[in-house]
Amino acid sequence: MLTIGKVIFKATDIIILFAACALTVWLYSIFWFDSTQHGEAETLLVQFADNPPTEYSLSEERVITVEGKIGSSLIEIKQGKARFIHSSCRNQFCVFHGWLSVSGDTAACLPNRISISLKGAFSDYDAIAGSQ
Amino acid sequence: MKLHFTTNHQDHRVALLAALAITIHIIESAFPSPLPGVKPGLANVITLFTFLRYGWQTALQVSLLRVFISSLVLGTFLSPTFLLSLSGALLSLSSLFLLQLPFRQFFLHQYQPSAIGYAVIASVTHMSGQFLVAWYFFIPHPGLFKLLPIFITFAVILGVVSGIITQLLINRIQQR
Repeated sequence: MLTIGKVIFKATDIIILFAACALTVWLYSIFWFDSTQHGEAETLLVQFADNPPTEYSLSEERVITVEGKIGSSLIEIKQGKARFIHSSCRNQFCVFHGWLSVSGDTAACLPNRISISLKGAFSDYDAIAGSQ
Repeated sequence: MKLHFTTNHQDHRVALLAALAITIHIIESAFPSPLPGVKPGLANVITLFTFLRYGWQTALQVSLLRVFISSLVLGTFLSPTFLLSLSGALLSLSSLFLLQLPFRQFFLHQYQPSAIGYAVIASVTHMSGQFLVAWYFFIPHPGLFKLLPIFITFAVILGVVSGIITQLLINRIQQR
């Protein structure tokens, strides 16, 4: 029993309050301070046209050659990051995009109809809005 | 054609309490909120008071009337706001119902929490219910869960506040 002014906190109230505070602290610890939830990318998804994407692990350093609509694209995976290193297209936007490092990062080559994106347990972006 | 309704004492009581809850709900909705979804929830003082004094059936009627009528008045009927409000109200009332079940036993009766304990439980479950519905139906994205701790923090604080108000209200009425 704890009396503050006219208000009486019973023992059960204090237990409930304590449990509620513990729940809050626990929620902070899992949703805010869990390092595994940051935009740590785990795999690379490579997609050509409407085909289902192919998954590659980011831990393995390699260069992937993908045949697209107008030619081949070379994609490099290195130190948990990925990038286009060569593409048969004219503009080379995908190559100039540079490294993809965070989960949710995406690069695409529209003429060749190839897109790559990084996937992790959690993405750093909610949604991506763009303009053409 | 003339319709005749016979009303009893219980109906009058429900109508009076619901009218109070609706008024508080509507006044409260005029105030800006620091975070969408965070409201003082003073209308729940009435629900909680009804629950503690008249039992869960009356509280359920008052609570549903409040959700439906205030949404009609505010123009949010069947909108996401209404669904959130309804889910929160139903979940918090069911948790209140479950919480008081064991204390009906005579040997546990003395351990019955006061309004504050009930208010904290009601407030936290109200918030969780709303949050889960918002996450499941409207924003199904795991990033939303980063907001959950903040919401629950507010729920605990505002729950204590509304519990204290309810307790003072009950004390006041018992003195009469």
